[in-house]
Amino acid sequence: MITTEDEYLLIDRILAGERELYATLVNNYKRYAFTIAMKVLENRPDAEEAAQDAFIKAFHYLKGFNRKAKFSTWLYRIVFNVSISYKRKQKPVFQNIETSIIEYSERADHNTEQQDKNLFIAKAMNKLNEADRLAIQLFYIKEFNLEEVAEMMGQNTNTIKVRIHRARMRLADELKLILKEEALTL
Amino acid sequence: MKKLSIAQEELLLRFLDGELSEEEIKRLKNQIAHSPELQNRYTELKTVHSFLSRKIQLDEPSKLFTQTVMNGLDRNPELANHSYKNGIYLLAGILIASALAVMLLLNGVFTETTSSLVIDATSLQNKWMTLPTLAIPFNVKIIINGIIFLNLGIALILFDRTVLKPYFQKRIMIH
Repeated sequence: MITTEDEYLLIDRILAGERELYATLVNNYKRYAFTIAMKVLENRPDAEEAAQDAFIKAFHYLKGFNRKAKFSTWLYRIVFNVSISYKRKQKPVFQNIETSIIEYSERADHNTEQQDKNLFIAKAMNKLNEADRLAIQLFYIKEFNLEEVAEMMGQNTNTIKVRIHRARMRLADELKLILKEEALTL
Repeated sequence: MKKLSIAQEELLLRFLDGELSEEEIKRLKNQIAHSPELQNRYTELKTVHSFLSRKIQLDEPSKLFTQTVMNGLDRNPELANHSYKNGIYLLAGILIASALAVMLLLNGVFTETTSSLVIDATSLQNKWMTLPTLAIPFNVKIIINGIIFLNLGIALILFDRTVLKPYFQKRIMIH
């Protein structure tokens, strides 16, 4: 990871004409940018394209980056906005609920009880509204804090906090409900 | 079973997020130990918290990611996308033009403007054939009315695409 000062120096050199140095910034943030796009678009090829477009857009607007915020925060906001506009263009995909569960369950623990719980939570995740689901997913990417998620989504920090708390309570409620139903069917 | 208050649930979540002070943690742990409801809810929220912490990881883009970005740096991203602002400006322009046309129409500028489209057929006339002069009468007022309606139609489509659609899509995203 490069420091903020080094990053500003790098940006100055890119703006002075050493555009090949932009690859350093891309390499540094591509995983985060791609992850944000993936959470919004839930589709690998679209997410890759949106994240790449966001980097190109950021390069064109680099002069306008005022350095009041961190470069990463500024970039993630662009990635989020580009991904949202991709989402608007995306044709509605009727995702099979079972398929989306597999995505989570494939990496699940070997412990059966834990695996079941994970499956139930994954199922419950699909019941959350889109904004709450996005907020919670971005918040749980360890590197993003509450303020960054709020900045990215263009919403107030308190609103995001409420969304994340509400989403977790809802997931816990769903988990309780499913486990109760399971117990009754035994 | 006694239902927990929102404040108690928030406290549990803040505990899981590591936002509580030493003193608050001590107090909460004591409360959890003495309340089965609080204990159950803590277990449920902790399960959710651990699941999300473990399962939500950074995704890895393709190996060609950086190269593709660097190759596309000369591409102007603005040209590829429809500009929301441009749509609004175009909409405003159409509305202003339509309003001006309506004002002129209401002031009677086009009321007397009737004309006829004369087709010159003299070149076709000869000694065996005499053609009557063809004249199709038309009213400029009707044409202006037609243009206004067409403009308003375009304005409605633009209003839908640039204002209504993005607004409702944003609302869906927020709620």
